[in-house]
Amino acid sequence: MSLRTVFAGLLCLGVIIALGWAVLERPMPEENLPERVAEAMPESGVEHPITAVLLNFRSYDTLLEIAVLLLAVVVALALREAQPDRPEQMGLDNPLLRAVMAWLLPLILVVAGFLLWAGSYQPGGAFQAGAVLAAAGVLLRLAGVTTAWLDNATLMRAGLALGLLTFLGIGLLVMLPGVPFLTYPAEHAGALILLIELTLTLSIGLTLISLFRLTPPYADDPDDARRQETPKP
Amino acid sequence: MIGLWSVPLLFALPLALGILSLLVAPAWRARLIFIGLPLLVAASLDVLAGLATAGPQVYRLGDWIAPLGINLVVDGLAVGMILMTTLVASLSALYARVYLRDHPPASSFFWPLLWFLWAGMNGIWLAEDIFNLYVGLEVMGLAAVGMVALRATPQALAAAMRYLLAALLGSLAYLLGVALLYGAYGTLSMAGLQEAATNNATTQVALALIILGLLLKTALFPLHAWLPPAHGGALTPVSALLSALVIKGSFYILMRLWLVLGPEVTPELTAQLLGVLGAGAVFFGGWMAWRQHHLKQLVAYSTVAQIGYLFLFFPLVTNTSPEAARLAWDGTLMMLVAHALAKAALFLSAGNLILAVGSPQISHLVGISRFRPMSLFSFGLAGVSLMGLPPSGGFTAKWLLLHSAILSGQWWWLIVLFLGGLLSAAYIFKVFRMSFREGPQIDRSVTPPLTLDVVALVLAASAIVIGLFAHLPLHWLRMGSMLGMG
Repeated sequence: MSLRTVFAGLLCLGVIIALGWAVLERPMPEENLPERVAEAMPESGVEHPITAVLLNFRSYDTLLEIAVLLLAVVVALALREAQPDRPEQMGLDNPLLRAVMAWLLPLILVVAGFLLWAGSYQPGGAFQAGAVLAAAGVLLRLAGVTTAWLDNATLMRAGLALGLLTFLGIGLLVMLPGVPFLTYPAEHAGALILLIELTLTLSIGLTLISLFRLTPPYADDPDDARRQETPKP
Repeated sequence: MIGLWSVPLLFALPLALGILSLLVAPAWRARLIFIGLPLLVAASLDVLAGLATAGPQVYRLGDWIAPLGINLVVDGLAVGMILMTTLVASLSALYARVYLRDHPPASSFFWPLLWFLWAGMNGIWLAEDIFNLYVGLEVMGLAAVGMVALRATPQALAAAMRYLLAALLGSLAYLLGVALLYGAYGTLSMAGLQEAATNNATTQVALALIILGLLLKTALFPLHAWLPPAHGGALTPVSALLSALVIKGSFYILMRLWLVLGPEVTPELTAQLLGVLGAGAVFFGGWMAWRQHHLKQLVAYSTVAQIGYLFLFFPLVTNTSPEAARLAWDGTLMMLVAHALAKAALFLSAGNLILAVGSPQISHLVGISRFRPMSLFSFGLAGVSLMGLPPSGGFTAKWLLLHSAILSGQWWWLIVLFLGGLLSAAYIFKVFRMSFREGPQIDRSVTPPLTLDVVALVLAASAIVIGLFAHLPLHWLRMGSMLGMG
């Protein structure tokens, strides 16, 4: 065992002990935030507290998180364009796989739709639905199915941007009566949140699919690239 | 309500422009700055006007009251940082539009990344909620990592990967601290924490995690190893943005949290330790800068050194007299702003010199003074501020810090300020000595576009001018500060 490993191990142990100590000695909070959430629920436009927090009370955080997701794809796009590599050879050409896919895809879409809808009254929502949707895209890719719209760069980018653009647009539009950013009018809050979640689901799904599709087929860490550059003796 | 539109536009506008620049054809990406920059300048000035007429404000997003909702704080400190960002980022954008013309098409992804970076930074300056700060840090950090990777050479990718890992580790440590504070006090709002936080084991562990995470992101010595390859190896406008603005984001959070938690919670020992690490950064960074052979690596190590001065803030405000604390506040903020202007100018003029001689080596600058006097003049002006010579912003900052150190009886920081200045002079003059030497190496140079020289000169001149007229910005920066200076 090297000295470095020992040091890292001791550091981890120290952090664990400190965390345990901090949690055990924790004072009881005087502020009761869940109670405040419960009080404000009737004005939120949804019935599930988590959805209310994510898309109404603290919607600004969610807006920025969606920006982080889009940002990740932007970085992946930039890297992929800078390093065009071999034609992609992914996907098994297997008739059985395709037959199973034909059964699975509608099911996946229904589950994604249900998760999205369920978000308003029980755990669920755009992130979960988007992840399920992405699974469908990954399966398509693995089965070697090519679809015109997934390969259309312009359409893809429009889909990626749709969620954040809608979120941002609604946040600004509701300000017209002279209220702060992201203040949904109480009577339309439910509909607006559903619209935001719908577009977010699509964009989150496409984000995850894009990240999967943009990954180069081989591991390209810099050491690897250097090895490829060196001429063979 | 003051700033009803201009405050959210400070982050909504860059986000919208970021999306838009992704959707338009690559050739159009750069042109979006002609829409974006005037609007962002107008929004920043409107926020400043609001501060000057109505004083510090709290902006309630979604009209929810904190801690249920998220508040934004529009005080002097936030507005000062916003104006600094607008100035440096606008000028860097103008520089980049010309600079990137000769680069491969993939570098046009600079534009969406720039807008996201801008949104993240403005989000951080305005944030009043410690979890919201985490999200802001992620937006800013990921955009910054993407920018470092833009060059797409193996070295750039390795630097970006290292930067990503450091940034992620830093964010996670910060997030752990935030979770502990939320568990103990049930609120994420800084105002709420200011009232509720007491000195106990949970707070101390949380504070330690937050400090460690933010130090890693600020690249304070000895956690600086990721910075020189990332900042020195990036495209020139990216280097300027990262060194001038991005590292200030995490320092800003630490500064605010330190004052929010107050003298009962923040231990004097930690404050002294932060000061000692700052001193280490000044000496080590200066020494390493002097030893570099690549011009941009030299400038990057100069950033490592200059970060050190900012950390003298902590020993100078913790358990010291109000007068000493006020001087430390003024001095640190003047240092922060002057460094942003001077370092952006230094990186951009270094980029111009590299374009002119076609080599990043300092030894290849021999005789360049005859060909590119203007690039060299900007480099020198920025150097004056970094060395802390009068009448620059860097001088004013050091003067204020020096007074604060004397008033609080901590004479040992004077040594840091004095020797740090000498070290900066050593590495700045190293470049000058080479460029004024007459040698056979070059007999002509490439002339970079005029815009590049003008932008660097404007930034360098601002670093000097802010020292001459330090009174007004310092007055604004003090508005609504937690040191109780009104």
